[in-house]
Amino acid sequence: MDVVTQAVTFVFQWQNLAALIAGTIYGIIIGVLPGLGPSAGMALALPLVLKWHPATALIFMGSLYKCSNYGGSITAILVNTPGDASNAATILDGYPMCEKGKGGVALAISATGAMVGGTIGMICLIFSAPFLAEFALRFGPAEYFLTALLALSIIAAVVQGATIKGLISAGLGLMLSTVGFDVVTGHLRYTFGWSPIEDGIPLIQALVGLFAVTQSLVLAESAESISRIGKLAGGFWEGVMTYFKYPYAIIRAATIGLFIGILPAVGQSSAGLLAWAEAKRESKHPETFGNGEPEGVISSETSTNACMPGDLVCTIALGIPGSVGAAIFLGVMIIFGVIPGPLVFKEKADVIYSLFVALVLTSFILFLVGITVARHFALVTLLPNEIIVPVILVVSLLGSFAIRNLMADVFISLVFGILGYIMLKGGFTPVPLLLGMVLGEMVEINYHRALMISGGSYSIFYSSIISKILIFLTFLSLAGPYWGPIWKKLTQGGK
Amino acid sequence: MKGRFKRTEVWFKLVLLILFSLLYLLAIPYPEKSKQFPQLIAVFSIVMIVISLIIDLTRKGTGLGEIADVGDTELKILDETTKKARRKRFYKAWGIILVSTAIGFLGGFLFSTFSLFVGFALFFGKRTRKYLFKNIFIAVVMTILIYVAFQWIMGVPLLTGILW
Repeated sequence: MDVVTQAVTFVFQWQNLAALIAGTIYGIIIGVLPGLGPSAGMALALPLVLKWHPATALIFMGSLYKCSNYGGSITAILVNTPGDASNAATILDGYPMCEKGKGGVALAISATGAMVGGTIGMICLIFSAPFLAEFALRFGPAEYFLTALLALSIIAAVVQGATIKGLISAGLGLMLSTVGFDVVTGHLRYTFGWSPIEDGIPLIQALVGLFAVTQSLVLAESAESISRIGKLAGGFWEGVMTYFKYPYAIIRAATIGLFIGILPAVGQSSAGLLAWAEAKRESKHPETFGNGEPEGVISSETSTNACMPGDLVCTIALGIPGSVGAAIFLGVMIIFGVIPGPLVFKEKADVIYSLFVALVLTSFILFLVGITVARHFALVTLLPNEIIVPVILVVSLLGSFAIRNLMADVFISLVFGILGYIMLKGGFTPVPLLLGMVLGEMVEINYHRALMISGGSYSIFYSSIISKILIFLTFLSLAGPYWGPIWKKLTQGGK
Repeated sequence: MKGRFKRTEVWFKLVLLILFSLLYLLAIPYPEKSKQFPQLIAVFSIVMIVISLIIDLTRKGTGLGEIADVGDTELKILDETTKKARRKRFYKAWGIILVSTAIGFLGGFLFSTFSLFVGFALFFGKRTRKYLFKNIFIAVVMTILIYVAFQWIMGVPLLTGILW
């Protein structure tokens, strides 16, 4: 408790507060620009903070990391383009809310979700971080493999309402994740001699194509502004009030986020999507999900923000990042002499707990920024088609180009734009594809690791209790959509 | 037959079927551990596509739940005239994107961005003299704004054309 009090005092020193506010604003700006996610933001800011006190620098980077996620949700809601893969779930209901003119309400839900989810996550983790890290160590490669499969199957089954199409989309994502150097043998796969994809199909560039380019094409086609009713309905405070009308959804989403967060390498994208899927599954009116249901935005945003602290704990306690952003954060920590590992909670307790306290405070500052500045972003949804389409295209393709300074990345985004458009026209959703690409490497690595440990025996995938539970849940998620109508037929005698 | 399944969806599934089969075959010469995972995914996806195609060919109509969460599918636009008008706008948009990308490749960020804004203003905005000037003015302002924000404030590298 003493260390927490010291951390609070440290964070409230003016230079640390200034770093925190600067990180918050910079993070939101970075997050708003599709393509420039937390990883690019931290990389760009690194030269600036190199000479700072380690704790101050980590406070800045932590705030930036957290707020870029919130910034990503702004574009996810307003222009159907997630700033990062972790915001993928927010587009499912956030954007349809905008189409109904309720962009301000959706933004308010997102800001409140960031505050509540982030605060719940951080407070839980301040007191339980060392124990949670220990629990995560019980997960072996087989369990990670099965967790990823569970995430994919739930998304495939629930996001679209057509399990087989969802699974095909996820399969395509997994297949695309195998392009480039094989992580196990180092062998090149499916590159056809084209060097820009030797390290794999770049995720952000694919994301920009699948969502931003596709969305631009859809908007250009429709010749309408994003808000199809041409005006904004509902205020920011309406969104804040709406958020607190769903206490059960908040608790459920925060729990899912925390749990996913402490599993290394599963990441925030899975947390948001799983919470959304679970909210839809539990809802009495699941047909409203995907059509502008506020509970969908509440679930995805709360879960993603509650996941982030857990993700950080894994990064700090085990040195295993749960996302690309966390991986960069890991690098930043090492640069500042904070070497990750279970002992870091004792050896660098002052720095770690200062970071945790700063992140709690960031959640509130982020909310304040949300109610004062971000709500005006909703006006974007009223811009005429001929202005908003090129703005989305320029900013997102520029983000895609800026990551590696390669023109090839712009082409990759355009190709994924065509793919996303065709999928949309064919009645497929690109969300399972994106998750397949995000989790693909993790699935493959853990598949091979598990088999290596077991000497080639597949029994490792169902021998532990955790594995059995995960298999059962996977089966349940796939059979669930079919079981409902069958049960209805049986009980109603086929009427 | 036409009402049973949707053309774009079936074509897309057939293309995917061929793609997954090709990827399976291409993986054959890879080392054992390198080919195991992609081939597993390919076989699984092929099975799913075949099942999906069988369902498409045998069912009477489209499941509502299937399209409920996917906006702007062809299924939701039934009127043929609207479909044609949308397709025309789609081709125009692609034309502008490709020309602007080519201009960017040759001349760099500023020319590319300006041409993208002007292209959309000309082909998607109102074509009166007043709006034309207004849209060109917006194109110039937006290009400068994006340049200043990215290049000067954030230090993000911008596209430089091969001509200079």
